[in-house]
Amino acid sequence: MALFAELRRRNVLKVAFLYVVASWLAVWFVDAIRPNVDLPGWTDAFVYALLAAGFPVALWFAWTYEITASGLKKAVEVDQTQSIVYKTGQKLNAAVAVFLVLGVLAVFGQRLLPTFEFLVPAPLEGDPPISSRTPAEIRSLVLDNGLKIIVWPDHDIPNVVMYNFVRAGGRNEYPGITGLSHFFEHMMFLGTSNRAPGEFDTEMEAAGGANNAYTSSDLTVYMDWFPRSALEVIFDLEADRGENLAFMPKVINSERAVVQAERRSGLDNNNFGKLHEQLRATAFIAHPYQFPVIGWPSDIAAWSEEQLRNHYTTYYAPNNRTVVFVGDVTAEEIFDLAEEYFAPIPAQTPPPRVLTEEPEQLGERRILVQAAAQTPLLQMAFHAASAADPQTLHMSLLLNILTGGDSSRLYRLFVEEQGVALSIGAYQDEGFDPGLVVFYLALPPDGNPDAVAGAVLKQLQRVADEGVSDAELAKARNILVADYWRGLATIDGKARAIGQFEVFHGSYERLFDVPAAVAGVTNEELRSVAASVFRRNNMTMGVLQAPATPEDES
Amino acid sequence: MRRAWAVFAVCLWAGLASAQGVSLPNNITRTQLENGVVLILSEKHDVPLIGMQATLRGGAVTDPAGKAGLSSLLGELFEKGAGDRGAAEFAEAIDAVGGALSASVDLESISVSGEFLARDAGLMVELLADMLQRPALDRDELTRLRDRRIDLIRAAKDGDPRRLMPTYGSAFLFGEHPYGNAVNGDESSLANISHRDVLGYYEDFVGADRLIISVVGDFDAAVMAESLSAALSEWRPAAVALPELTAPVPETGRRVLLVDKPGATQSYFWIGNIGVAADYAQRAELDVANTLFGGRFTSLLMDELRTRAGLTYDARSSLARPSLPGSVAIVSSTETGSTVAAIDLALSLLTKIRAEGFADDMILSGKNYILGQFPPKLETASQLAGQLARLEALGLDASYINDYGDAVASADGEAIRSVIDTVYPVVDDLVFAIIGDAEIIRDDVAKYGPITELAITEPRFRP
Repeated sequence: MALFAELRRRNVLKVAFLYVVASWLAVWFVDAIRPNVDLPGWTDAFVYALLAAGFPVALWFAWTYEITASGLKKAVEVDQTQSIVYKTGQKLNAAVAVFLVLGVLAVFGQRLLPTFEFLVPAPLEGDPPISSRTPAEIRSLVLDNGLKIIVWPDHDIPNVVMYNFVRAGGRNEYPGITGLSHFFEHMMFLGTSNRAPGEFDTEMEAAGGANNAYTSSDLTVYMDWFPRSALEVIFDLEADRGENLAFMPKVINSERAVVQAERRSGLDNNNFGKLHEQLRATAFIAHPYQFPVIGWPSDIAAWSEEQLRNHYTTYYAPNNRTVVFVGDVTAEEIFDLAEEYFAPIPAQTPPPRVLTEEPEQLGERRILVQAAAQTPLLQMAFHAASAADPQTLHMSLLLNILTGGDSSRLYRLFVEEQGVALSIGAYQDEGFDPGLVVFYLALPPDGNPDAVAGAVLKQLQRVADEGVSDAELAKARNILVADYWRGLATIDGKARAIGQFEVFHGSYERLFDVPAAVAGVTNEELRSVAASVFRRNNMTMGVLQAPATPEDES
Repeated sequence: MRRAWAVFAVCLWAGLASAQGVSLPNNITRTQLENGVVLILSEKHDVPLIGMQATLRGGAVTDPAGKAGLSSLLGELFEKGAGDRGAAEFAEAIDAVGGALSASVDLESISVSGEFLARDAGLMVELLADMLQRPALDRDELTRLRDRRIDLIRAAKDGDPRRLMPTYGSAFLFGEHPYGNAVNGDESSLANISHRDVLGYYEDFVGADRLIISVVGDFDAAVMAESLSAALSEWRPAAVALPELTAPVPETGRRVLLVDKPGATQSYFWIGNIGVAADYAQRAELDVANTLFGGRFTSLLMDELRTRAGLTYDARSSLARPSLPGSVAIVSSTETGSTVAAIDLALSLLTKIRAEGFADDMILSGKNYILGQFPPKLETASQLAGQLARLEALGLDASYINDYGDAVASADGEAIRSVIDTVYPVVDDLVFAIIGDAEIIRDDVAKYGPITELAITEPRFRP
């Protein structure tokens, strides 16, 4: 009992209790930060071992030493009349109480507390962003075969998106192979030397992933959306179809039928598509932007296996692609997987450049499409600029002022006030080469396309003469900046945005200049782009309406 | 584009399943004002945006007979001026700050969805409160809107028929039941709607006791709650009780609606019957089954009709699940000459899943797909706001989302078989709606059942 009393006197028991409470807090803390910090697997074992080893040391220390008014001394050397162990004991009691309260608060209050983000400085692989506006966590890497990989880690949800941008589209085609790029988009799902047709999708969906793809006049773009757990499956699938695509005549022919069906739905049985195809084909007389992306029906039926093989070799080479990953990943793991799966794909001679430039349009062009229709359609196209041209941003603001939303000029005037149109919209091409700005309107059954076209042109010329109001410019700026944020609210939007800027503007970092660029646009710049684009001689006008009398149909 | 159907798929609540490890945020607060308005708030600070949804229970099922489209016209009129602002000023106020605020209507609700930059939270509340409590409901605006809506339906009939397929299908299947109402109305019902109808409907069916507001995003919840309750606590209730609907029951036998679109080079078909409601207890099993049957690219319908037979560009099975049993349907299209081949193949697949169910490896794959594709559906403030409002409107709690992942993961083959047996109709009991060139396909499709024919230019969606 004397030993026990001495243990108590020297506060050894209190130290032991304090040690246990503090250890519990330490273990809890490690657990609490685990979701935010990448702890190595041996952390638990290490912490337990450290705490266990420390216990006897702490007890020995408490037994051997004593805190006195004049500092730390060996207990045996302390003059017991001067001892302040009682006071130390009180301090220890207070410490135990504080730790206990802290512990209880922390454990039960954990859900109420803000989550801490621990920044773990670690050397990152890949090239860091140069611009200070660009989020620092984005990394890029160019493999030896020329494939550029961009990674934007975002751990908000346990998912990842991959965008694979292939620089191949309608502009790389010519009569005889129009629609080949789009058809090839379908081919990429139809089997490799390792996988039968359909296995790509079966494997991806079984791993929880989904995919889609689209083709434009400039690009063929492949998207995969998948849970983090499917990351390696995705690399395996993408590397396989990136290098080992199979060309099976029977499969190719069956897919021709699918594309013909797609064409029937999008164009032949859809008046908007029917007119739009003819409009583009008329607006361009030299540049391949004149071809429908889906292809002319006779070409869909005719292109050869050899042409498909050439397309694959040339355009799907790693040096002609850019791959973006955004989501619950680290740059390191993506670069490691890319080195393993994508680096072995050999580079190729770059594709031939598209040299044809559309010559200056010398006068207004008009087309009429006759089709069964209860409501006539009007479309007006003007030659404009390429994506990278600063004019394109000016035009985006201008189109917003003209047709973006219920307060826009043309919507208010033609749809709400005059009722001469049921709807009005506009888009501009944003591609490698100068494209079109197109206004499209649906008119009421008794609408007069010529009169409406004249009125639209007059409004466009008014902008070219007078510019827009400061309030309109401010509004358009706000809409573009809000759209910018909306675009970055999802991992999908982030991947699409940085990929588009990398491909069309030469660097994904330019994306982050958008808010500042939008803020800097002046009214004079809007007036000037209107004056250069909205000219009658630069216009192609298309009308779709039902034949006035049966004889017209012949 | 490789698969346009994906766009349809994301519109369906069918896809809005929770996943293991994914759940609603744990900072959601729900309060109810004395006049009945329910406020649901959740802070989310990743981007400086606020997503909002205000849902008024009611919707197209409350449209009076012969006036389908009334609730939807009212929804659109909400955007045409409110409070001190005329239509132009109201639109200007939203656009000036880069905001978005628009109304949409479905069978059982009118919803106003908004998305604003965080700095404009005050304006958002002001505009919403005006829209709901002090809408202009201007006579001239209504006339313009109504006449334009009629012409836009005509324009839609000139466009891609895939967009109209569900409207024709539901109208024919549900008939006089309010679930058969064309949500946006048809050309003849819209023409019947007067200014007085709109004012009366607003008094009778719109009010505080019907309103649910959910807001998610970059704001302070206490401040937002204060601001919304100050703006809405004085609002009156709706004058008339919501109608009690009878639950639709599956019908037996077959019938065919043939919508004639002369010159169409494709036939579009919708084949269905009555399915289940939103609160169907075996939702997880049903979602696995529907994913495998026609809810994803490698589904049985896509695999057989598109990949193997090259008959179509897209084929899917759709489940509409409102508060009472909705529809279950196969939807696809094919070249005019292969109409019967495609429909026969689709029907044989229906028979096949009823007889055989799905193999275990496919079931596992379907589960993984549902679980893997879920998190992006709850990613943004606006998505969350929409989901929270919908759960409240249907009287479902958070477990509908939070427990769903486990339910999907544990769905077993036998339960899935029994769900297929219960939910998917036998091939003898089907309602067909087909849009195509009647001259060419009329005789061939007669074998599916007695035909009712309707020209696409007819000003309604059912005979």
